[in-house]
Amino acid sequence: MNRMKPSKQTIQLLNRIALISGIVAFILCILIIANYIQVKRIDPLNTPAMTVLLDRLKSNPGDDALRTEIRELDLLSRKAFFTSWWQIRTGGYILLACVLVIVICLKWIELIRPKIPPPPEPVKEDFWDQRKTRQRWIIYTGIFLVAGSLILAWLTYTEIGKTLYRQEIARQGTDSRQATDSLERGPDIELTINQLQRTGGQDSTPVTGTDSESDATQSGTTPGNADLEEQSNGPQQAFPSREEILSNAMTFRGPDANGVVNGKNFPVSWNGTTGTNVRWKTAIPLSGNNSPIVWKNRVFLTGASTTKREVYCIDAGTGKILWQTDVSAIPGTPSTAPKVDRETGLAAPTMTTDGQRTYAIFATGDLVALDMEGKLAWGKNLGLPKNHYGYSSSLIMYRNLLIVQWDQAEGASVKAFDGTTGKLIWNTPRDVKLSWASPILVNTGNRMELILSADPCVVSYDPASGKELWRVDCIYGEVGPSLAYAGGYVFVTNEYARLAAIKLGNPPQIAWESTDYLSDIPSPVASDDYLFLVTSYGVVVCHNAKTGEEYWVKELDNSVYSSPVLVDGLVYLLDKTGIMHIFKAGKVYQPVGEATLGEGSVCTPAFAGGRIFIRGEKNLYCIGN
Amino acid sequence: MKKGIALTILALLFAWQMISTFAIQRFPKPEFESGYITPETLLPSPRAEILEVLDVAVLLLALSVVTWAVLKRRSRNLVFWISVFSLAYFGFYREGCVCSIGAIQNVTMALFNGSYIIPWTVLVFFMAPLLFTLIFGRTFCAGVCPFGALQDLISWQPRTIGPRLNAVLGIIPYIYLGLAVLYAATGTDFIICRYDPFVGIFRLNATFGMFLFAGVLLLSGLFLARPYCRFLCPYGVLLNWVSRFSKYHLTITPSVCIQCRLCEDSCPYEAIEKPVTVKNPDSRKRMVRKFMLIVLLSPFFMLLGGWTGSHIHESLARVNGKVRMAEEILHPKRIAGQSETIEMTAFKASGKPAKELYAEVTGILREFYIGGWILGGFVGLTIGGLLAGRLITRYRTDFEPNRGTCFSCARCVDYCPVKTGTGSIEL
Repeated sequence: MNRMKPSKQTIQLLNRIALISGIVAFILCILIIANYIQVKRIDPLNTPAMTVLLDRLKSNPGDDALRTEIRELDLLSRKAFFTSWWQIRTGGYILLACVLVIVICLKWIELIRPKIPPPPEPVKEDFWDQRKTRQRWIIYTGIFLVAGSLILAWLTYTEIGKTLYRQEIARQGTDSRQATDSLERGPDIELTINQLQRTGGQDSTPVTGTDSESDATQSGTTPGNADLEEQSNGPQQAFPSREEILSNAMTFRGPDANGVVNGKNFPVSWNGTTGTNVRWKTAIPLSGNNSPIVWKNRVFLTGASTTKREVYCIDAGTGKILWQTDVSAIPGTPSTAPKVDRETGLAAPTMTTDGQRTYAIFATGDLVALDMEGKLAWGKNLGLPKNHYGYSSSLIMYRNLLIVQWDQAEGASVKAFDGTTGKLIWNTPRDVKLSWASPILVNTGNRMELILSADPCVVSYDPASGKELWRVDCIYGEVGPSLAYAGGYVFVTNEYARLAAIKLGNPPQIAWESTDYLSDIPSPVASDDYLFLVTSYGVVVCHNAKTGEEYWVKELDNSVYSSPVLVDGLVYLLDKTGIMHIFKAGKVYQPVGEATLGEGSVCTPAFAGGRIFIRGEKNLYCIGN
Repeated sequence: MKKGIALTILALLFAWQMISTFAIQRFPKPEFESGYITPETLLPSPRAEILEVLDVAVLLLALSVVTWAVLKRRSRNLVFWISVFSLAYFGFYREGCVCSIGAIQNVTMALFNGSYIIPWTVLVFFMAPLLFTLIFGRTFCAGVCPFGALQDLISWQPRTIGPRLNAVLGIIPYIYLGLAVLYAATGTDFIICRYDPFVGIFRLNATFGMFLFAGVLLLSGLFLARPYCRFLCPYGVLLNWVSRFSKYHLTITPSVCIQCRLCEDSCPYEAIEKPVTVKNPDSRKRMVRKFMLIVLLSPFFMLLGGWTGSHIHESLARVNGKVRMAEEILHPKRIAGQSETIEMTAFKASGKPAKELYAEVTGILREFYIGGWILGGFVGLTIGGLLAGRLITRYRTDFEPNRGTCFSCARCVDYCPVKTGTGSIEL
């Protein structure tokens, strides 16, 4: 055989080339991996510097120099990002080239070295032993595969099959029942199959004790709908009349929590700095983004820090703090405050009252009831809400029931507690994602409905029993704005999703939609004819409530987090700098007044007794002529 | 020296590929305030039919030539050169597509999905190597498959891995084949293509993870010859089966084995069967009894495998995008601060009712449940078959290639001192 004569020098040279290439390849490998990890950890569009600049721009949108600075930083970040990627890619190519050089060198060496070895030394034949070993290891592999697969199945089990199977059964059952009991089932039988599937799933466990307040469910039997009606209408159960509800500001965004307020002759001009039309101003000890509520001559609100949670009662006439109660020591409360977004805070949900007690909830999941003198009636921890921005859904009362929208990342539900005892009356699981919206109460003419919005739907419940009445899939994303209602239409919106008007009926249907201007924080407000939507970046849009036609768009100078309030034919809209924009609720934009608070605010004002109560960053203001 | 030149040519091809890849480096479309209109993105036109015919012609020609080189010329050098050509053509020029390994999925999809029409070129790429193997052994692996050629090139100091690892790793291709068929049959994904480690190298474009996978395979390929072909390739399973029946398989010696044992350690793939001269310590009766036991237990293995597969069907189904979507809707687990997936956003934007998705997913899960039984049964049958195969003994006096696992690379031929046809010895 002709073999190339080995040349020691050539082999040595090739060995060296291979070695050098190997070292370069190794160094490159380390550098590429390090660069890759670094690039993966950096989001070029959300660097801390960029976030700071964007925050500054939000509060000062007219700053052109700042805009230029942001653009430059953005360009720089992108350049750096893509340069890193280029480095990784180029490094990869060089690495591959090095590997190729190594391969060539090694192959070359292989070629010029003698190839055919001498006959191997005879070894003891172990053919049969090897065969047995192989058999054994095939069996071991089989056992491992079975065990490994079962463990994997167990670890990754998500019940999706069971869930879908249940839904399939529910759908089939619903379809078969549909023809026979449509009269008994009422309007929801006409809903779409999807809605029925979900409703079926929800109705199966109307009251459960899965949350940390399970002691409440175990401590007594859960009444059925009839029992509940009897209980709630019983003579011992006193709750405010409709007149009282309308004349006070008992909940977030007015009597039914939809932004529409009764009353007349509210001030249209004031100045917090000079004191014009400011009846009093009181510093609130602890901060909070909740709005004040008003019952007769008392104003209530909450504040919280990482170590303390307090409820305040303020004399509506003088501004004097009548009492402040520390409610930090509720059994089950977490030892450390949850990490929440700065703009949400630890006391974002607005309180509510039934005239006998006031109720508050905090980002820790602490739900408390205090009598009108500030004494703790009952308190419980509902569990730490799984909410990365912080819990913010406000409370609402229906008769004697305190209703909590408990939307969180896992195990969302809506709950009703007996206001007197704190006992859980009903608890309806919700297959929605976490949200920051608050519930509204709607009188449809036939019945009262508790309506909630969260990704992916708007859902109506019977407020007495928690039974789901209808649902419309129409919303998605991180839902912050609450609903609006007027004239038989429910309005829902969320940024990046849509603005939709749902016409109540049998079944409820989406009457119109728009995606032009959407809100992520302020809730819309509606009259029978107009819908007013405000974006957080300060654009006000007026739509025809029934057709969706866009009447006008007004761009404010400042951003807005507070929700607009419709009262006496006027819309009151407070921007983040504390300027109240007042305009007529009409087809054209007609400003009526512009009043300055003197400090920034993100809270929705409360209107009662001809006075407006506004919570600023530090102080509570009472505005009155 | 010739091989060195060949490798240098490959290096040049590689460099050319790098330059062309630089040219298509992409950046997000910028927004211009000056009114500049970004040109419309043009999609590459499909490959011309004449070029597809060329691909098939090249495949058939390469198969023919390599078969001739292996069986007639018995020339390892020629096989090497053909494999270099295949690597250049099917690998770097055709970028690993169309390939016979991936064609398994197209064929499966065509069988299970009536609306899918398999391109004739893909069918040829699937069938031709099998037909050649049925007649001539795995000559496709020897010099036509670009994956094999690439691994063959980098094989430097191959080591044996012993019976234990061989037994364990040898089962993986069967599982991979089963999974590939399952996912293709359910229209879920072409996992062979998605997790193809070498296509990224041919295109110089892959995810970091896939590059890493390819790197690990190639590095291990320095010491473990053709790791992908032996312990992963699903097409190799089919070729292994078919090759056992090949009529004209490569032989180590062209004439009569003179028992010189020069070839004993020549195969880097451990595919040479050594002479079996020592009698089985177990009696024949006992061996027959063992064999019958394995045969009788095989249905049990299949049932156990099927039962296991049915239990894991939901996990298997999660590779399907629709299943993942339904899961995201039904069991949202969004991590704090993490936005929803782009697929979910697209689904919502499409306005498609969730009930339609649920109905589809219910059907998919049902398919996976049945597929899980079949996949598990197949793996169970494979294990039974491998065990039974170990009990069949054929006494040999000569060194012979294992017809199933031999890649017909003709390395061992060089080690045989017997001259073609004459029985004389070449020194």
